[in-house]
Amino acid sequence: MRRDTQNVLLVLLGGALIKISATELYLRYVKPANKWYLLSAGVVILALAAISLLRDAWLSRGGRPAPGHHGHDHEPHSPWLLLLPVLAIFLVAPPALGADSVQRAAAGNSVTAAAGPSSGEFAPLPAGAAPELRLSDFVARAVWDRAGSLAGRDVTLTGFVVHRGGSAELARLVITCCAADARPMVVRLTGFTDAPDLPSGSWLRLRARLLPGSATVADGYTPSVQVLDAEPIPEPVEAYEY
Amino acid sequence: MTAVASTTGTADNTSPDSPTVADPVAGTTTNLATDNSATDNSATGPNSAQPNSASPNNAQPSATERSRQPRLTSLQVFSAVLIAALLFQRPLAQALDGSTVRIAATVFVAVCVQALPFLVIGVVLSGLIAAFVSPAALGRLLPRRPALAVPVAGLAGAVLPGCECASVPVARRLIGQGLPDSAALAFLLAAPAINPVVLVATAVAFPGEPGMVVARFTGSLATAVVMGWLWARFGRPEWIAERVRRRAHPGSGGARWWVFLETARHDLVAAGGFLVLGGLTSAVLNVAVPASWVEGLAGHLVLGIVVMALLAVLLALCSEADAFVAASLGSLPLLPRLVFLVVGPAVDVKLFALQSGTFGRGFAVRFAPTTLVVAMVCGTVAGLLALGGAR
Repeated sequence: MRRDTQNVLLVLLGGALIKISATELYLRYVKPANKWYLLSAGVVILALAAISLLRDAWLSRGGRPAPGHHGHDHEPHSPWLLLLPVLAIFLVAPPALGADSVQRAAAGNSVTAAAGPSSGEFAPLPAGAAPELRLSDFVARAVWDRAGSLAGRDVTLTGFVVHRGGSAELARLVITCCAADARPMVVRLTGFTDAPDLPSGSWLRLRARLLPGSATVADGYTPSVQVLDAEPIPEPVEAYEY
Repeated sequence: MTAVASTTGTADNTSPDSPTVADPVAGTTTNLATDNSATDNSATGPNSAQPNSASPNNAQPSATERSRQPRLTSLQVFSAVLIAALLFQRPLAQALDGSTVRIAATVFVAVCVQALPFLVIGVVLSGLIAAFVSPAALGRLLPRRPALAVPVAGLAGAVLPGCECASVPVARRLIGQGLPDSAALAFLLAAPAINPVVLVATAVAFPGEPGMVVARFTGSLATAVVMGWLWARFGRPEWIAERVRRRAHPGSGGARWWVFLETARHDLVAAGGFLVLGGLTSAVLNVAVPASWVEGLAGHLVLGIVVMALLAVLLALCSEADAFVAASLGSLPLLPRLVFLVVGPAVDVKLFALQSGTFGRGFAVRFAPTTLVVAMVCGTVAGLLALGGAR
């Protein structure tokens, strides 16, 4: 690939990184903390390419050969591959992972002691009639909390519907660095008559209560909840939990 | 390799780097061309005849021929690809409708977007080293004896907090500036695995298991040091592509900044394509490797170690995230999961692509499989010692 083509490609690549970090698109791929890395990387790539383009133009105007043109047939082809993420970002912008990824994963929650304090003691639930909990927090408390902070309490959960094995689940994907390491968190929905009408992947905000005796080894650490109230919502900007 | 000519050109403006040079300098030009053909395929010597290599006899005619015939330039091809992609945007997006393809597309973009900032850090460091760190100063940093220099370089990896992608361009530049290969390779393997960010992430992912952090640190450092020593004993300099060793001649004052700029730009272009290739491979494998691989390994320790090592290679997770994935595989004993953490930052498909693009294919096909075996052994031994047996 010629030097000027390389620089044009780098301008596009830098622009793609700036575009997704300046909008909310980057949240489909990486955690929020990466925003400033992405923006800075985009600016550096853009600057490297722009300075190089300007300098080559200036040198060739003065009749001197631009650096790197030494006339052999072995310019590497690998930089062409950089076009793939550029096209993918500008033209397609693949959506955040969702129900399909959960269905491909093994059933149940792969809970770890990491999800909660190693002592098994959690802070009390926030006050209020139905405090908002992250799905991963809810699962961790259901599995590990010895004090039973969820017992008899209504909570508000947000996630998307997944139909699997004849039952409906509310799911959320948890990521650490990027979407490549996404792990599902699920709870099983009971007493929810509308569930069969909702396609997999539709987002819900629901008020629910943990059914005692669930979230054990036998059910793959999947808590069952009694759904008290459910409200369809659009997909949130932050589709993942972190 | 474009940068090599240009960096020397920047430092020494009298050196010819134009294709249309006349007879007195033709020797220099053709030398450059044969050098480059050799580095493209480092397994063959510089004198071996390749069908389409620019040999001294045909270099001159082909150059003039090119200037006479209107030839499709890469910029024109590039524009055509862009226009075609814009025209077919809708069918392209619809082709991504299948759930598997869509997942792979998201994972592909995610891996690229996650890794590119680290690659940028790496190429900026590489440019700074090329422009501002003299080989003499580098030489003073390390003990003279390779046997000692290797572990010191491995420990020095702890100061570069970042993913694998950052350490490849830096290690390449260290070799270019005259650091012994063995020490630079130890740094390459240690940096992504033993830096504080990774160790803290491991501690958070495995609370109540401090042995995992200790075992990961010792296993990864041991892998780096053993590989460095193995290279010092058995490695051959010619396995590393010749272009890596061409030193930048920074000159002084403002010229140094042009060297910095050109080195960073060139390394970014050279490594970026291979990073994308690695991301593509990892995305395909991410959807192709069934979840059932891990289920049913619970009772098989040796099989578990082998499968987890392979998974680490195939999934190519970022070293700051792999501990959380390992922690989530609760059905497995700790030992296979530790091997997963030791192997991942040392060798995976993304790194293999980056290494073969940076150091040459001849290097990568020898280095990566050896690293895999060494990392599996070091990880297992470190786990047995630090975790107190096979748990």
